[in-house]
Amino acid sequence: MPVTGELRRSSADRVPPASSRGNIYERAPVSAGRINRLRPRKMVRWSAQLRGGVEPIDATVGIPRALLYHKYGDLWTAFFETLGVDTVVSPPTNRAILERGSRLAVDETCLPMKIFLGHVDSLMSQADYVLVPRVASLHRGETTCVKFLGAYDVARNSIPDARLIEYDVDVANGKRHATEIRRLGRGFERNPAKVGYAYMRARREANRLHSERALGNEQAALEPGLKVLVVGHPYNIYDEMIGAPVVSILREQGAAVLAAELADASRAKTLSARLSRDVPWTFNKELLGAVEHYREYVDGIVFLVTFPCGPDSLMTELCVRRLEGMPTLVLVLDELQGEAGLRTRLESFVDLLRLRRPKERTATTARVV
Amino acid sequence: MATSSADYRLSFPHMGNYHIPMCTLSSMLDCEIMVAPKMTRRTLELGVRHSPEFVCIPFKYNLGNFIETLDAGANLLVQAGGGCRFGFYAEVQEEILRSLGYEFDMIRLVGDFDLRKYYQDLRRINPKLSFRGALHHYRLAARQTRALDAVEDFMRKRSGFEAEPGSFDAVHERFLRELGPTPSIAEAAALEERTLAELAALPVEMPVDALRVGVVGELYVLMEPFSNFFVERELAKRGVEVHRFVTVSDMLSHAGPKGSAHLRELIEDAGPYLKYHVGAHGTESVAMTRRLMQAGFDGVLHLKPFGCMPEVNAMAALQRLSRDNTFPVLFFSYDGQTSETGVRTRLEAFCDMLRMRKRAGVSAATNMEVPA
Repeated sequence: MPVTGELRRSSADRVPPASSRGNIYERAPVSAGRINRLRPRKMVRWSAQLRGGVEPIDATVGIPRALLYHKYGDLWTAFFETLGVDTVVSPPTNRAILERGSRLAVDETCLPMKIFLGHVDSLMSQADYVLVPRVASLHRGETTCVKFLGAYDVARNSIPDARLIEYDVDVANGKRHATEIRRLGRGFERNPAKVGYAYMRARREANRLHSERALGNEQAALEPGLKVLVVGHPYNIYDEMIGAPVVSILREQGAAVLAAELADASRAKTLSARLSRDVPWTFNKELLGAVEHYREYVDGIVFLVTFPCGPDSLMTELCVRRLEGMPTLVLVLDELQGEAGLRTRLESFVDLLRLRRPKERTATTARVV
Repeated sequence: MATSSADYRLSFPHMGNYHIPMCTLSSMLDCEIMVAPKMTRRTLELGVRHSPEFVCIPFKYNLGNFIETLDAGANLLVQAGGGCRFGFYAEVQEEILRSLGYEFDMIRLVGDFDLRKYYQDLRRINPKLSFRGALHHYRLAARQTRALDAVEDFMRKRSGFEAEPGSFDAVHERFLRELGPTPSIAEAAALEERTLAELAALPVEMPVDALRVGVVGELYVLMEPFSNFFVERELAKRGVEVHRFVTVSDMLSHAGPKGSAHLRELIEDAGPYLKYHVGAHGTESVAMTRRLMQAGFDGVLHLKPFGCMPEVNAMAALQRLSRDNTFPVLFFSYDGQTSETGVRTRLEAFCDMLRMRKRAGVSAATNMEVPA
């Protein structure tokens, strides 16, 4: 058909010249064709990039095991897998990644962001594209932490050679997660139905895995024995360098560890109003609600905070002040953290919790006698 | 606790000279208004002592202001919020102050812009407040703010070259005294015009190679000279024309529904360095720096509180901009430990470097990156 032919040609014209294609500074020229009004500009650019470079289906997408990976990782891997796109997930955080990230980042960047940059950098040699989504807001009237607003631009400016792909979620401005990730998928697969199917399948898979973990958490809350609630962002708790040592030391001490981030999000959000009216960040709201949800079931609460986290600096303060009578421990971690200090603090915290338990107090007394 | 508006003694945190229009604004509540005691080192010390450890410095200054003004007898505090951590200031500050044993009421202007909610909050304090009355006070305060910003903008650009030391300050001080009592919008406008004419008539000695420096960054440390150790004044003293774009009138002009168009414009101006909004004034910092670079400015000063996430996001872009174009950008980061001497030394070196660059007419690689 002549019309289609013309449209095709005009869209092919927009592919940037080979010389500038590798340069992320160069925006693909946008012609005022009809097709532009029909297709979102962002997608045109990606598909143009992809067509100009490798065959879409052969591209490997790198997924940094940091920040939102710990929330959406299952979704991303399943989504790309269903689309037939290879993915590489960076290895769990290690010294080298942390050091690389610290070097790339502005000094005052928070620890998770430094780790994130290290992961993006480590993927450059293994993947054609690295996925760096921007998630600005997930609900009306709420925001996410400012670092998620800037994650894409920070990565782009800190690692100029990186080839990034992104999608932009900003529900307050009408950009929903489901829509935006499918738009990203259209860069790899032209058939919208297939992309829609991939998203649905990925969503289902991610939900299944999440509810399994959440169920385990709820069950652990009902078990007898010493239980500690760890309040921290998933990208801190599940990180090999930040949260993993904390969790394993607590377990070694014989405490069951509950993760606040696994509490049911909508219930948590409702409950959070009891602790704070104004907290503007979705993730912090959920954590606050989780504290309220689990506080009856646990012996103590550990706040896992990274330096210098903006939202947590205020939320932890408010939370500790409003949790009268509940033993709390605030752990502020940075990249210079040694394990010995961490161990001492956690051990004494667990000891203290044990002393507070009526049953075990007699047991300790008996041992002393 | 106070029951009628006459029992209230209202107070608010300091920021530059904005307490003058703020007094005009709050006079709509028909209660006594107490301007918080002038900022001193003690304000910061009080704030630091009772604040969370690594919260950003404006929180600590605000808290210090609140403690000092509560000690002086205030019982109604006003705190705004939004954008970044600032949106959560009010609730945490209220909690801290209550646990310190103070009794007070707080008006929290936080969350999405909602005129009706604000009006109802104000009616709670002054039940006799009419919507027209509130609007009048708001418009007068906004006009006074514009006058204040216009005069101070002129001061920043010219006071560094005054032929007679102190001549600009004298006019400025008189202006500040006269601004508060202006009863109408027309008189505020007339005062602005008169003061600007007076300032323009003052003798200046402009050197041929005068430096032009832009100041960008986080709004509080930009607008509260005490918190940034008076860098604008220090720059002016060294014969620099200082340009700053973040002012309250600028923020008011982009408030509400016009905000998103303004943001789009800024992102456009940030060019290759930003694709999305990076939070609060971060986008503006990048866009302004690039505009100034293209306008041929000699350098840019970037100020922020330690750990300010929007500005840290912007810094990644600014460092790259500076590297790519060999454009001098000096970064200052303020926390409770920042020393005034350190700031002054770096500022001096920066000015010297800019002057040498200008004289040599070269664009040597001179990206200054100094953590404060």
